[in-house]
Amino acid sequence: MTMPMIEVLKPGLETCVQDYPGRKGAFGMGFPPSGPVDHWSFRLANILVGNAPGDAALECQFIGPALKFKAPAVIALCGGDMAAKLGGAPVPLWQSIAAEAGQVLELGSALTGARTYLAIAGSIDTPPFLGSRSTFVLGDCGGLNGAPLEVGGEIPVGEGQGVPGRKIKQSCRPAVSENHRWQIEVCAGPNDDWIDAAGQQRFLKSEWKLSPKSNRVGFRLEGPEWTFTEKATNKAPENGSDPSNTIDHGYPIGAINLCGQTPIILLHDTLTLGGFINPFTVPSSAFWKLGQSRPGDIYDFELVSVDEAQARKRAINAMCSEDSIEQA
Amino acid sequence: MKFDQPKYLPGGDHFILVQFGDDASIDLNFMALGLTAALKEDATKGVVDTNPSYNSLIVEYESDDISYADLKIELARLISGLGSVEDLELESRLAYLPAMYLDPWTRDCVADYSEKIAPRDYDPDFVAEVNGFEDAKQLARIHSGTEHWVVAVCSTPGLPLMRALDPRCAITSPKYNPPRTWTTLGAIGVGGLSSSIYTTPGPGGYNLIGRTPVPLWDPQQRLPVFKDRVVLLDAADRVKFVPIGEEEFEYIEARVADGSYEFNITAYQRFSVGAYKKWVASLNQDGRF
Repeated sequence: MTMPMIEVLKPGLETCVQDYPGRKGAFGMGFPPSGPVDHWSFRLANILVGNAPGDAALECQFIGPALKFKAPAVIALCGGDMAAKLGGAPVPLWQSIAAEAGQVLELGSALTGARTYLAIAGSIDTPPFLGSRSTFVLGDCGGLNGAPLEVGGEIPVGEGQGVPGRKIKQSCRPAVSENHRWQIEVCAGPNDDWIDAAGQQRFLKSEWKLSPKSNRVGFRLEGPEWTFTEKATNKAPENGSDPSNTIDHGYPIGAINLCGQTPIILLHDTLTLGGFINPFTVPSSAFWKLGQSRPGDIYDFELVSVDEAQARKRAINAMCSEDSIEQA
Repeated sequence: MKFDQPKYLPGGDHFILVQFGDDASIDLNFMALGLTAALKEDATKGVVDTNPSYNSLIVEYESDDISYADLKIELARLISGLGSVEDLELESRLAYLPAMYLDPWTRDCVADYSEKIAPRDYDPDFVAEVNGFEDAKQLARIHSGTEHWVVAVCSTPGLPLMRALDPRCAITSPKYNPPRTWTTLGAIGVGGLSSSIYTTPGPGGYNLIGRTPVPLWDPQQRLPVFKDRVVLLDAADRVKFVPIGEEEFEYIEARVADGSYEFNITAYQRFSVGAYKKWVASLNQDGRF
């Protein structure tokens, strides 16, 4: 089997190999799943180049990399617009294209959104760790030596049968917000009963600003105060002294984890367990919006039932398929 | 307090938290680990992963394979099949881990915090004082005088949260506030009701009382014990710390580095919660070591 390589000329900002759904079944060993934040765009990029939707590809964050192809490749970019150029010529998003051996793909800063996904036909063939190629930087594992891309690094790629000129139908693409406001679904729980009725309404009716102190571990939010029920203020001492403290418990991915008065949305590289309450949880159908928002953007939260959240996830999953393809 | 019926709390579209009670009674962790084992044995369709803790178990599921309502029914069925906590028998190994108490490295770590973040006493002196022990040496005797129950492996890869199984060796202490920004790798810490071992050199809030020279996880799976596993310990295993001096610490460290270190871990044994509780009831719990 040939192993076409891609050489890293510029790494970008924490550009990492990810796969979907990531490292599953490893919570009990202390590993979160990792994987792409906007897994809708991620899967569309893979489908364009003929890979399985969850195959390993690159997640570029805010500032993209410059990569040199050592062999011909079919590639696709989906997600935020990083004004990509291949051999100096602009490259369209949401479309598979051919790259020649020796050509350089250069991504800049994100003009829209925050994350761009680069899939390569044949998919990235770094060694899997606990069943996944996703990079988990804090755990020093997955991806290329457990780390983001580095200058001079070589990305191994499997053999693929990509076809250029395939496009994602407009109606099947996630729509990146142009006014930097996002309506983010949340489900109540697990610990909504620690927040009083006024506090829950304040959470749902207020604007929340995404803090610059945000990364793939968690997104910090800035907004109004939280108020609590007696459950939070009158509890056994082993819970801890702050109203937001509880006895350590496992964290759902997407939890709105309240640390004192600071809510943090837990993302795919989160700590798997801890001693703060999670009054609400962002379901997986909203993760593409998290992946495409940037510090300073405003979130409005929309309460949905678990059933509704699952229905929205199914609707997105249905679009992560060959049905979303049209020929250019 | 243990709830009459467990609580089922949703966590978005693919998690459910099963809570057995609202305090940190060790029985609640035994129930969570009993349910973990039952789910594994049952191979319940749609269950993707589990993560136990002090009084709860979080379950990840795939809603295309099982609905939230059906998952609750399945969980209730498995929980009623567990019977009472005394009936539980959990698969458990005992790992003997070398530990240098009152070591120079965590002493430096505490001193560094004291200098750069907030002044504080040497952690073992502080923990000994808040527990009414004679001195830090008695703290080391008490901490190494019991098997520690692995409540959960969590937060960072391979990190065990542990509780003393012998109530005469229970230690409680407040955690750091604000937390440390870095921690010596292999540091043994105590905080709240728990002990832990730092598996990454990251931040932390436990009081540091010693250090082990052995790794608790190995992504390269280099040492023989990691041939078939990435992390050393699972929830429901037990740890006994074996006190060592600096010379032996360095000897073991060298054997870890050259790949020849052999861990001392027993085969799986059945840990009977009923027998354990009988033993605890027979003890004079006011005694210390």
